[in-house]
Amino acid sequence: MKCILNTGRTVPQGTSVEHKGSDTYRTVASAGFLNPVDMMMLGIEDGDRVRVTTPAGHIVLIARPAEGVAREEIFVAIGPYANHIISSETHGTGMPDFKSQRVDVEPTKEPVKSVGELMEAIGGLRYDRT
Amino acid sequence: MTELWVKNACVIDPLNHINGEIMDIAIRDGRIVESVSDRADVIDAQRCLTLPGGIDSHTHVSGTKVNFGRYMSPEDMRAGRTKRKGKMHVTSGYYVPTTFGNSYRYSAMGYTTLLEGAMAPLEARHTHEEFTATPHQDMMANTLFDGNWAVMDAVREKDIRKTAAVVAWTLKAARGYGIKLTNPGGTEAWGWGEDLTGIHEMVPHFAVTPAEIITSMIRANELLKLPHSVHLHCNNLGKPGNYQTTLETFDIVPDLNPARQTLYATHVQFHAYGGGTWKNISSKAEEITRSVNSKPQIVMDMGQIMFGRTMTMTADGPMEFNLHCLHHNKWSNHDVELETGSGIIPVTYSKKSAVNCIMWAIGLELALLTKNPYQCLLETDNPNGAPFVKYPEIIGLLMSKRYRDEECTTLHPETEKRTSLFALERELDWHDIAVMTRAGQAKALGIVNQGKGHLGFGAEADIAIYPIRTDSVDPAREYRKVVEGFQKTRYTIKRGRVVSRDGEIIVDGANATFWVDAKVPEDLKMENDPEFIKRFEQFYTVRMSNYPVQDVYLPRGRRIETEVFT
Amino acid sequence: MIEHDVVCPFCGCLCDDLELECEGGKIIKVQNGCALAESTFMTDTRLPAPIRRTETGWEKISYTEAIKETAEILQGADRPLLYGWSSTHGEAQSVGVHIAELIGAVIDNTSTVCHGPSILAIQEVGHPGCTLGQVKNRADVIIYWGCNPVEAHPRHMSRYTTYATGFFVPDAQRERTVIVVDTRRTDTAGIADEFVQIEHGGDYAVLSALRAIVRGKTSVIPAKVAGVSKEQLIRIAEICKTAKFGAIFFGLGLTMSRGKYKNIRNAIELTDELNRYTKFVISPLRGHGNVYGSNEVFTWMTGYPFAVDFARGIAFYNPGETTAVDILRRGECDAALIVASDPGANFPRAAAAHLAKIPTVIIDPHVNATTALARIHIPCTAAGIDAAGTAYRMDGVPIRLKKVIDRGYPDDAEILKKIYDRLNGGTGP
Repeated sequence: MKCILNTGRTVPQGTSVEHKGSDTYRTVASAGFLNPVDMMMLGIEDGDRVRVTTPAGHIVLIARPAEGVAREEIFVAIGPYANHIISSETHGTGMPDFKSQRVDVEPTKEPVKSVGELMEAIGGLRYDRT
Repeated sequence: MTELWVKNACVIDPLNHINGEIMDIAIRDGRIVESVSDRADVIDAQRCLTLPGGIDSHTHVSGTKVNFGRYMSPEDMRAGRTKRKGKMHVTSGYYVPTTFGNSYRYSAMGYTTLLEGAMAPLEARHTHEEFTATPHQDMMANTLFDGNWAVMDAVREKDIRKTAAVVAWTLKAARGYGIKLTNPGGTEAWGWGEDLTGIHEMVPHFAVTPAEIITSMIRANELLKLPHSVHLHCNNLGKPGNYQTTLETFDIVPDLNPARQTLYATHVQFHAYGGGTWKNISSKAEEITRSVNSKPQIVMDMGQIMFGRTMTMTADGPMEFNLHCLHHNKWSNHDVELETGSGIIPVTYSKKSAVNCIMWAIGLELALLTKNPYQCLLETDNPNGAPFVKYPEIIGLLMSKRYRDEECTTLHPETEKRTSLFALERELDWHDIAVMTRAGQAKALGIVNQGKGHLGFGAEADIAIYPIRTDSVDPAREYRKVVEGFQKTRYTIKRGRVVSRDGEIIVDGANATFWVDAKVPEDLKMENDPEFIKRFEQFYTVRMSNYPVQDVYLPRGRRIETEVFT
Repeated sequence: MIEHDVVCPFCGCLCDDLELECEGGKIIKVQNGCALAESTFMTDTRLPAPIRRTETGWEKISYTEAIKETAEILQGADRPLLYGWSSTHGEAQSVGVHIAELIGAVIDNTSTVCHGPSILAIQEVGHPGCTLGQVKNRADVIIYWGCNPVEAHPRHMSRYTTYATGFFVPDAQRERTVIVVDTRRTDTAGIADEFVQIEHGGDYAVLSALRAIVRGKTSVIPAKVAGVSKEQLIRIAEICKTAKFGAIFFGLGLTMSRGKYKNIRNAIELTDELNRYTKFVISPLRGHGNVYGSNEVFTWMTGYPFAVDFARGIAFYNPGETTAVDILRRGECDAALIVASDPGANFPRAAAAHLAKIPTVIIDPHVNATTALARIHIPCTAAGIDAAGTAYRMDGVPIRLKKVIDRGYPDDAEILKKIYDRLNGGTGP
C-alpha cells in the first residue's frame, strides 16, 4: 500500500528520548500508526509488523491502529526508525522531507531492529552500558 | 598601577569650560589625575582635537527587538561584514550590526558610553547578555514603562508614591538605568490593535491618559531622585500634524530639577510635522524650538534621518504597523505582556520623496534653531533615522552651510517651500559639537558625577583623539575633512587603556553596566504588595522569583543608589 | 528539601513553576510538571565518564585525554561541523561560536531540521508575534496549525492558551475558540471547537484560500481546497475576522511538509492581513528548551540564526549549502563536534551515516543514538538540572535555568572553554 509518512513528537517518545537504548524507546519509536481501515486492507492487526520502503531504504515497524490517522498516512514518532528511510535531500532549504516522504507499506515477519542495530547498519558501534 | 600621559592634546571639555587649549592629560589606573611619573606610557596627540569619550544617549544596539532586526535581515548582515582580525571578532550588519560590530564601530568613532534606547523589563536578561558582548562601551538601559499595568493602575489612583515604588522595583529587577516612555498608553492600546491619537485620550480599559502617565512618571522620577529624567518618545510619532501633540506635551512638563532637564524628549524630528496629510506635510521645527528655547526643563535629541536604507525598530508597535501598511516591507511585531510593545521594519529614505527630504531638513533645523546646544543633542535614534556611522556626516552638515547648500540642490524641489533650512546661516562650532556628542549627554543622563563626559581630575579616562587640527581646518569650507576626521579616531582610550587605534581594536573589552537601585520607604516596597504579587501569580507567565535579572549578568555592574524619599 | 519555581529545560514552554523535592543529591519528586518534565528530572541516567571507541568496543578515558583529542581532531580538520546546541545554555552556545570562528568551522543548531523554514519565512516577510502572556491575557481565538501540543508541549494550553485564565479572558474555556488544523485527528484536535482535516501538502492552498476569503474574494474558492470544504473555510475566516485577539501557533506540520518555508510565509501573510481587521499574532512552537537561545546567541554574535559558515573568515549564511544535513549529505565535513543534541536519531540516514565515517565527538549528558556513531563521548552537566544558565523560551523571553543538584560533572561550557584554549594556544575566548 502506498502511504505518506508523517512524523512527529509523542509523549511516550519524549519521556524516553534520553534513553534511546531502552526497550521502552524502541517500542514507541518503532510504532507505525495506521488508520484502522488501512490496516484492514493490509490484512494486519494491532502489533503485527510492516515493512516500510522508500528509495532511501526500508525499515520494519510495529503497526498500531489510530482512528485519527488519515487514510493512506502512516504516522511514526520522530527518531531513527523514521529517519532510516527518509532521504537527505533538502531541496536547498536545509530541511529534509520529514513529512512528505512517499512510502510502500506491506506486512512482514521480519523483526524490528534495535536502535543500536540501526546505528551499526550505518557504520556505528553501539554503546550499551546505560 | 598603570599610567598614561597624553601630551599636546587640543582639548575641548565643555563641562570644565575648556575650549581648545593645548594641554596634557595624566591618567592613572583609569582615572584622570594631576600628574604621573616618568614611567608612564606616552601618547603625543600632536595638537589634535581631543574630547571626552563620546556618549550616545539614545541608540538601539542590544536586546530582543534589535536581535529581531538582525535575524530577519540576512541581506543587511551580508552588507556590513568584516573578517576576524587580531583582537577583532567577525562582524556582520550595516544598519543593525552584531554586538561586536556595534562596539568596534562606535569605538572607532570615539564613543565610550551608550544608553540603550529601550529595554522591556521582562526581557532584560537578553539586553544584559548583549551588553556583555558590546565590550568597549559602558552601557545603560532605558527601561520601558509606557504600557506597564502596575504603573497605569497607580497613575489612575493618582498615587505618585506608589508609582515611584513600582518604578523602583522594576528598575532594580531589570537592572535598568532610567524611565523610558514610548507612545505612553499607545503600546497598551496596541495590545488590541489600536492606538491613541492624543495625549488626553483614554487608554482602553485602564482609564488613564498619556498626559497623566507622563506627568505622574515625571513626578515619580523626581521623587526617586533618579539620575536621568523621564525619557519620552512622544505620542503620534510620524504623523503629519503631530507637532501639536509635541507642543502640548512640552507644555505639561514642570521644571522640577535644577541640575538637569525634567524631560528628555527623544528623536524630536519625527514629532515636528505640520500639515495634515503626506501631501501637505511641512516642518514645524521653528515652533518646536521656540518652545524648547523657552523651557530649560526640556532637552531633546535630533532624531536625524539620513538618506539610504535602514531599519526602524521601536517599542511603538502601532507606528511600525502603519509603516508596514505604507511601504509593504517585511514587518515584525513583538508585544510584551503587561509592559510594552515593539515593531521592526526596514525603510528607505529617498531624496526623491518630498516627505523624506522634509524629514531630513527638520532634524538639522532643530539643531540649528536651538540656542543652547545642551538642549539639542546629536542622535539619529540609531538605526531608525540612520545608522550611527553617519554621525560624522551630520557633524559636517551642522558645521558647514556650504555642505548643506550642496545637499539641498539634490533634494526634492518641494523641500525649500516647506522647511526653513535653506535660509539658516548658522554654523555650529567645535565646542557646540563637543556639547552635542558628549558633554550634553553626560549632563542629561546624570552621569557627570560618575566621571563621564568630561576630562577633569577624577573623571574616568574615556578620551577620543581625532585626527583633526582645529587650527588648520576650516569646517565651514573643508567639511570633507571634518567628516573623515570624526569617522576614525587616532586613539580611543577607555578607562585609561587604548582600545582603538586608527579604527582597529587592539584589546579585549571589559565594560561596565550602570544601573539604578532606587530606594523607597519600607511600607511601599512592591515585593510586599499583595496586588503587585497577584499580578505575577495570575497574569505574567514568568514567576516573580524568576523575573529579576540575576547578578551574574552584570559581571562589572555599577550600582547607583538613590536616597529614600519620605 | 523543596526547590520552588524550578524551570523545566525540556521543551520550548520553559515552564518555570515546578516544585522539586531533592534528597541525598537526587530528585525524588516533581510537582506541576508534565510527563516530559517528570522523566527529564527523575529518570536522568548519565554516561558516567568519557569514552572512546576502539576497534572492538569502548574504553574509558579521562576528561583531559578526551579534551586533548577533541582539540586535535578539530585542529586537524579542514571543514569541521559544530552541531546541536539546543539543549544547553547560552554560555556554552557562546563558546561554541567562538570556537567555530577560531577554526573556520560551520556551526549549526537543531533549528535546521525543525523551525529553520520558519526562520527563512521570517527573513522574507517578518514575524508579527508577542510574548505568551499577551495570548494568555487577551486571546479569544487560538489556532494550532500543524502541531500537536497535547503530545509535544503538554502544558502549553493550560499555561498560555485554551485553559489559562487571563486578565481579559477570565472564563477561559468558555470564552476561547480553538481551531486545530492537521492531517490527522490528534488528541489536540479532540478538544478543538473546529477541526480542519487537511490533505498532506495542502496547507499552502488552504492558507491562500483563507487569505482570499479575508480579502473578500470568496467567489474564487472552489468547493473543496485540499480536502477542506468551502463552508468550513468561510466559517474559519469569519471566526478570525471577528476575533478580538487571535493567535496562531504552528509547528512541524508546516515546516516539514511540502512547501516548507513557503507554508509559513503564507501563514505570516495571513496574519498580516488579519491585522488590518483585528489583532492577530503568529508564533512557532519551538521544540527544544533552548533552541531559540541558540538562534539568539548565534545572531547577536554572527548576524545569522543558524547554519553559519566561518570558512571564509567572515560569517557566511546560505541554507541549503551551509546547513548541517546538506553538509553531511555531501560528505563535505571531515570532523564533527556534536553538543546537546542527537543527529544520529534525528537526521536522515545518509546524513547520520557520514558522522560514522569521520571523527565525531559528542558532548552530551546522555548516551544517545549519536554515541554509536562517535569516536568520543564526553558527558557533562544537563542545563537546568545540574547546571545553571540562560535559556530563551519559544517567545523570546529569557529565563535562567537553575542548578538543582550536583552530580559531579563538568559544565559543558567549561569543557568547551578548555577545547578553545587548546585550539588557541592557551588564551581564553
